[in-house]
Amino acid sequence: MRRTVAFLLAGGMGSRLNILGWLRAKPAVPFGGNYRIIDFTLSNIMHSQINAVGILTQYRPHSLMDHIGDGSAWDLIGRTRTATILPPSTGIKDQDWYRGTADSVAQNMNFAEKYNAERILVLSGDHIYKMDYTPMVEFHKKKKALVTIAMMQVPWEDTHHFGIGIVDEKNRIIDWEEKPKKARNNLASMGIYVFDIDFLRSALEVRSGHDFGKHIIPAALDNQRVFAFRFQGYWADVGTLHSYWQTSMDILDSRSGLHLQQWKVHTNMQERGMIGDRPPFRVGKTALIRNSLISNGCVVEGTVINSILSPGVHIKKQTCVHDSILMQDCLAEHGACLYSVIADKRSRIGAHAQIGVGDSHIPNRQFPDHLFSGLTVIGKEAALPDNIVVGKNSIVEPQVKPDCATQEIYSEGSTIANHA
Amino acid sequence: MKKTIAMVLAGGRVDELSVFTIHRPKSAMPFGGLYRIIDFPLSNLMNSGIERVGILSQYRSDSLINHIGSGASWDMVGSQRGISLLPPMKGTRSSDWYTGTADAVYQNLEFINRNDSDYVLILSGDHIYQMDYQKLIQFHEEQKAQISLAFVQMNEPSLDRFGQGVIDNTSKYGGRLLHYVEKPNETISDWVSMTIYLFNRRVLNQVLESEMKRGCDHFGRDLFPHILDRYHIVGYKFRGYWGYSRTIEEYWQANMELLTESSPLQIEQWNVRTNLFNENLHERAPSLVGSSALLLNSLVYNGCIIEGSVENSILFPGVRIGAGSTVRDSILMYDTVVHSGAVVDKTITDVEVEIGEGAHVGRTANGSQVADGSASSPDITIIGRNSRVPSHYHIGSGCVIYPNKVETDFPSQSMPAKRILQ
Repeated sequence: MRRTVAFLLAGGMGSRLNILGWLRAKPAVPFGGNYRIIDFTLSNIMHSQINAVGILTQYRPHSLMDHIGDGSAWDLIGRTRTATILPPSTGIKDQDWYRGTADSVAQNMNFAEKYNAERILVLSGDHIYKMDYTPMVEFHKKKKALVTIAMMQVPWEDTHHFGIGIVDEKNRIIDWEEKPKKARNNLASMGIYVFDIDFLRSALEVRSGHDFGKHIIPAALDNQRVFAFRFQGYWADVGTLHSYWQTSMDILDSRSGLHLQQWKVHTNMQERGMIGDRPPFRVGKTALIRNSLISNGCVVEGTVINSILSPGVHIKKQTCVHDSILMQDCLAEHGACLYSVIADKRSRIGAHAQIGVGDSHIPNRQFPDHLFSGLTVIGKEAALPDNIVVGKNSIVEPQVKPDCATQEIYSEGSTIANHA
Repeated sequence: MKKTIAMVLAGGRVDELSVFTIHRPKSAMPFGGLYRIIDFPLSNLMNSGIERVGILSQYRSDSLINHIGSGASWDMVGSQRGISLLPPMKGTRSSDWYTGTADAVYQNLEFINRNDSDYVLILSGDHIYQMDYQKLIQFHEEQKAQISLAFVQMNEPSLDRFGQGVIDNTSKYGGRLLHYVEKPNETISDWVSMTIYLFNRRVLNQVLESEMKRGCDHFGRDLFPHILDRYHIVGYKFRGYWGYSRTIEEYWQANMELLTESSPLQIEQWNVRTNLFNENLHERAPSLVGSSALLLNSLVYNGCIIEGSVENSILFPGVRIGAGSTVRDSILMYDTVVHSGAVVDKTITDVEVEIGEGAHVGRTANGSQVADGSASSPDITIIGRNSRVPSHYHIGSGCVIYPNKVETDFPSQSMPAKRILQ
């Protein structure tokens, strides 16, 4: 794998993750207690013995840059091993901002050349899956392919979200439909490509557009050397609040295929906040924990069921947390109740507050497309007052102060805005 | 600020910790669900701004070498900072093995002098405590001392395991050291030595060069009683928690302190660092508490999977507790597996121990004491690393199982209390 250089596309805004994505790029969104979404792809890269990865960033890269650090968390450090952040830059002829996925790679081909690449592996930084890329690269070499695309079968009703390939019996891709309304096949692209470097260079020179799925792949089909590599296993796109929550809950379901305990996902434990140095989690004498994932540094004195707690979460006595995801250093005060809540870092839930209640299925009034399945999202560093009641499908904006809440009861689908 | 170099004595073998110190020096002993004991003095050094450190080790140094790594875990990397492991060496001048604490430091005077510091702080790597060494240095300077020794007050019936100091009450932090006796039969003072010594560097050179000739191995036993009148030596009174763990009972007790609400052992507030690259801490997911689990008053680090019942216990990374099993008042180190239906009570397991299905290990019947459960008779069962207790097997309280025992090594029926499987 020394001649395979990876590009990791990490520029996505993640706008459908709503307030979770306001302050950070999607790949930097915390996931699974200890991790950020990008850790899954970086760990796959590491376990596949790939030595050099360029991480293409554009939108709010700071939390990502902190997180990648010197790359040592994934052993991507050494004379010819690296995890390098490649932000947009101005050059003699290049445009400043990346105009699309293919454009971002085109502007950084010198990175691949520096590491002596024969092949380029293009990956996305916002998927949760475990994959060894070695068999895919071997397949690519054996087929003498110019492009190999990792593909998997998806439910027919989901095909309109994906690039769909029509293949022959040798897995040669003979036709391509990008996000079709009515698909002819259910073999979907996972956004993972292996390119022959010379082919990619020439394709990027004559390209008609800036996106791999929309422009580069359909144009490549003419040369008949584009193949589908079939992947079987757990794979999830966590691009929406609901899929983020559902994928998180899959960690707690042993039948889901997301075996976090076995995947050996690495993360940067030495990042700001020092998650690794936090002590073991402490369970009090009054705690009840069922089917939950608990990180180090947590203190649990109340009830936690079907939930995921990141490092440093404190659940006080007589508090109950159900089906929820609480990120780093959240605090649920005495007697609070949380149902299907996603709470961003350092948010504080006041005593006896009830969050995520009601059953009238009213979607969020401001973002009905984002919040409709009964979740409630609390933004980073928001503080909710004691005794407040917040209905389902509600949004609490980041850094809301207790006095931003003007009502004692917020009905389903509300937004508590930060007016400061 | 004057410059201080620290020498950490980490190599001593302490037989009291039984099967746990067969493969590692005591300073590398796991503690509190995540740490190694040496993390405490190293973190104290880091938090005190003393960042030039030599570690003297000769017994099983490989586990220490792994744990210390580059020193980056304690920010001790750079041209002015660093942790150097100093194993014994054959040299033109030096003899081979360290014969004692003073000898170990003596053999490394070159290292100490190369670093051009004003003070040399000599510590033991075996104790659990939080201390700002700058306060000791400040006291040393105020007293215009040449040598300072730190003491802690101990209220135990027998203090014959400690060095004891009679300290003049010049200030509330102590004063001139009037008497010092190492491990006396008759107690002369309840202020016992923490084996923390601060020397002016020139004085250290002078003392060692003159005293080593007369044949002297240990600071406490051979050196201090002898030079008390010739140098200005003061005793510093430390007031805080000091965990010394010289026996299995003390080790168990110090761990259990962590589960007590009002304990003075507040690791959460101590800013203790450990090496996160060791023991694969990097790739351990948060712990999974299953739907049949019952978990009370315990500490659990990442990487555990808990399906059974766990009470008053400390679980290190990677421990697995099967459904229907019970773990009580126990310390389970890295990757211990307790299979379903097993009972583990008042037991300490070393790394990678396996307890077979339905087995019973340790204290029996509702947590009551064994008949002769006096303080001196140990009732803690300990299991050496990588040993496997067979399914449905019974091991009584106070038993000792050596490392790497497999099913066929165990006596056929069961093991009554206080047996040893060597």
